[in-house]
Amino acid sequence: MFNPNNVFTKVITLSPALLLALLILPVIGGLVGVLLPAFSYIPALGEIGLSMKGFSALINTAGFSDMVRLSISSAFISTLLAFSINLLLVAAYFTSPWLNRIQRLLGPVLVIPHAAAAIAISFLITPSGMIARLFSPWLSGWQSPADWLLPHDPWGISMILGLTLKELPFLLLMTLAALAQTDLATNLRAQHKMALSLGYSPVTAFFKVVLPNLYPFLRLPVLAVLAYASANVEVPLILGPNAPPTLAVAIMNWFNDVDLTLRIKASAGAIIQLLLTIGLLIVWWCGEKIIKRITQLSLVNGTRNYADKGITWFVHLLTTVIVSCVLLSLVGLILWSFAGYWRFPESLPDQLVLMHWQSAFSHMQTPIMNTLLIGFIATLAAIVLTLFTLEAEQQRGYTLSRFATIVIYLPMLIPSIAFLFGLVWFQEQINSQHALFNVIFSHLLFVVPYVFLSLANSYRRLDPRFMNLAASLGATPTKVFWQIKLPMLATPICIACALGLAVSFSQYLPTLLNGGGRINTLTTEAVALASGASRRVSAVYALVQMLLPALAFALAWFIPKLLIQNQHKGNHA
Amino acid sequence: MIRHKQPHIVICNTLCGLILLLTAPFFSIATEHSPTWQTIVNNGSNKPVYFHAWGGDPQINIYIQWLSEQVRQRYNIELHHIKLTDTSEAVSRVLAEKSAGNYDEGKVDLIWINGANFAVMAQNGLLAPNWAQSLPNFALTNPDKNPAVTLDFGVPTQGMESPWGQAALTFYYDSRAMSAPPYSLAELLTWSAQHQGRFTYPKPPDFIGVSFLKYALIGLTPESLKHLLYQPATEQSATLLLPTLWRYLDALHPNLWRKGRYFVNNSTALRRLMGDTELSLALTFSAPEVPAAVQRYDLPTSIRSYAMHDGSLSNTHFVAIPYNASHINGAKLVANFMLSIDAQAKKQQPHIWGDRTVLDLSLLSEHQAHLFTQPNPHPSSLISTVQSPALAEPHPSWVKVINHGWLMRYGAKGQ
Repeated sequence: MFNPNNVFTKVITLSPALLLALLILPVIGGLVGVLLPAFSYIPALGEIGLSMKGFSALINTAGFSDMVRLSISSAFISTLLAFSINLLLVAAYFTSPWLNRIQRLLGPVLVIPHAAAAIAISFLITPSGMIARLFSPWLSGWQSPADWLLPHDPWGISMILGLTLKELPFLLLMTLAALAQTDLATNLRAQHKMALSLGYSPVTAFFKVVLPNLYPFLRLPVLAVLAYASANVEVPLILGPNAPPTLAVAIMNWFNDVDLTLRIKASAGAIIQLLLTIGLLIVWWCGEKIIKRITQLSLVNGTRNYADKGITWFVHLLTTVIVSCVLLSLVGLILWSFAGYWRFPESLPDQLVLMHWQSAFSHMQTPIMNTLLIGFIATLAAIVLTLFTLEAEQQRGYTLSRFATIVIYLPMLIPSIAFLFGLVWFQEQINSQHALFNVIFSHLLFVVPYVFLSLANSYRRLDPRFMNLAASLGATPTKVFWQIKLPMLATPICIACALGLAVSFSQYLPTLLNGGGRINTLTTEAVALASGASRRVSAVYALVQMLLPALAFALAWFIPKLLIQNQHKGNHA
Repeated sequence: MIRHKQPHIVICNTLCGLILLLTAPFFSIATEHSPTWQTIVNNGSNKPVYFHAWGGDPQINIYIQWLSEQVRQRYNIELHHIKLTDTSEAVSRVLAEKSAGNYDEGKVDLIWINGANFAVMAQNGLLAPNWAQSLPNFALTNPDKNPAVTLDFGVPTQGMESPWGQAALTFYYDSRAMSAPPYSLAELLTWSAQHQGRFTYPKPPDFIGVSFLKYALIGLTPESLKHLLYQPATEQSATLLLPTLWRYLDALHPNLWRKGRYFVNNSTALRRLMGDTELSLALTFSAPEVPAAVQRYDLPTSIRSYAMHDGSLSNTHFVAIPYNASHINGAKLVANFMLSIDAQAKKQQPHIWGDRTVLDLSLLSEHQAHLFTQPNPHPSSLISTVQSPALAEPHPSWVKVINHGWLMRYGAKGQ
């Protein structure tokens, strides 16, 4: 006999295994697809003997050590900066309504794809950018743009700036998401209040009382930021130096080079990139342990105040600078998208025209449709899989193994450049011809970790008493899942959806490679145009790229309110 | 672009109709001569064709969109433009397919290609051979008298690619920033010393960057040794010719934008810097993009184009079909339509794309040839009255030697 409860329970039981297989097979397959060529095994080029010549060619590349140094320093410094600024902001505004306001101001940055954000920042800091225009010629005396080094400076300062500004809102959102969990937040805020009443000044109280309990929730986001910063290609392409570039950019160039034998060197580079990223993650993890050990004593040394006034003022200043940078680049983007002739040092264009929007929109329909279709399917699949996996956890009564957790976050931590090229090869092997399916599948790899990350804690921390009560009233687990858990999780689910969409919207390499270049999304179009064309068209694309995910987040904010309102109405009726 | 549409489109449509009528007889003669062409039309129609072509220029993208409307009307072919940031992406894809044992269901049907990309694909047997000369419209290029349509950077095409357009290295400058631009390599050096940081060229292996280096190499090589550039590069010839180039660059680089520490990645980035007025002098391989960019507000109105008096590097660009393309016949139909008089005439219109035709206009009727003339040149467009000798592309093997040498000397400068 057909019993929906049984079917549901079966699906639930199977989903963790399905989720793991879905994530682990392509990543491992992709890595194998890179490992073989790295040791000179490419039958298509007539290379079938295993050798190390890829690695020796790599080490002999001019500027190889500079590439590695640049990748390491930019990733580490930008992550450290974004993380520290995030902590300072949260510490200084922990009890103030400004924390949420700042998050709302910086929110839009979170949803801009990295490429678009990098373009916006380059508009800001180039010698002919918004900052220079605002101060010229009355202060700087420049009649034509100065020949200064930003962006593309050899030290990677512009790149660090770009990555920091882009990752800060992500970390802030993750911090606030952790603090949105009712029980954790109540505890932490109560403890913070207690510390204040014991005479600790607010910032010190945050670092001594709140941070040690909060950090476990931030570890993964920070590691993801670090991994991303060390291996991404969009930001260094637009803001970084190119003589030499970062390792990841060099690998991409070698993969795409006309000289096909460079594939061997590129694959060897991908392996080095993988080791470099893993190394950075380990260093961060060790650093965390060391800092914990060192600061253990000072947590309880009783000091109430460490120059808190100064820190608070510094944070005010920092916030103002960051927020004005973000606003100024937004204003710059909007102006460029409407600009007619706009000669330096004018701070406003000579005329405003609709031409760039019109010509962009006449070519944008298909990319927008593709972006939405891929985003919605990938996100829906990710949400269902995540919820079922988490439900399976609760029905089994124990959380996922450490191994499984690592696997889920694998695509976030392994540099995509290290396995995507292999994944394309892998998909060719199993003859997966459907480009749209391949793209959705590859997006799923990147969407799942973020969705899981943003849902897992809320799900695991649901107050079990509700479920126990429902069960004691005779509700089946299926009923509890659909009628108790899901409604209670409406807000986190909506946020996870919006995050999943934003992640999918911004994917560049997976769309390009796994779709065989046949699937055009807003992001692939934007990056293709950013490599050429005009600032004006780039600005239009960057703005539309921002608009789509912003819409998703607006809905994520609005829908739960609507649901709650309806519930209340229902109760009154 | 939108501004130009209304009047021109109407005229253009009527003209297209006329051309169709005029070319119809030619077309039927060609089909009689090659009975297989009808088979190609039958087999190629009603199917998609995936055209992998660089997608960095909106103007060209719009022209390709027009092409796809035309082949839909004629053959019910769904032409998809896969926009590449670099042509080598398509080369990589075909190789990946070959390594995965995909010999007849390739995803790339047609590639816009020339130079080193072509040489690599041809060498590795990645292209379908001996088809270009069978296209009915290929005869319009007068291949016997015009070697530029069967030689790609000096390498015989062997029917692996069909010509699409021609380009010459053109310079453009901001007339508000200087009284007169430099007209030769020697003048460029003195000019750059007077205008510090106002000129740069894209970093090799970018096409324009390498082209600038080739122009410099040809210009700096004494007449008696020039023939070496048109033979495969050897270690001997490289050590003989390259040091003069490096000496020239050593002198030039400190005067460049960012003092030569940073080079942009492509020529469109160059155009953006011209738009920002960070640069006052730049170069391009498609002269008509300059006035078009001025009309789109991307460049200031004070921009003027010109050709160097000591010569302009010239080459042809082609379309090729991978050996494993899924829709070989459809791709041939598209390539043939690209060579038609109406497609070539439209392409040469400055407000459409402005790419020089590969057809031999002397083979056309006066009326047909008239379609290729330019009514009112834009002040920023290239005026071709000044004599600038065409410099033929060196043998493609020089590209690798120049790239390698450049990257070793300038590519990995730390600070």
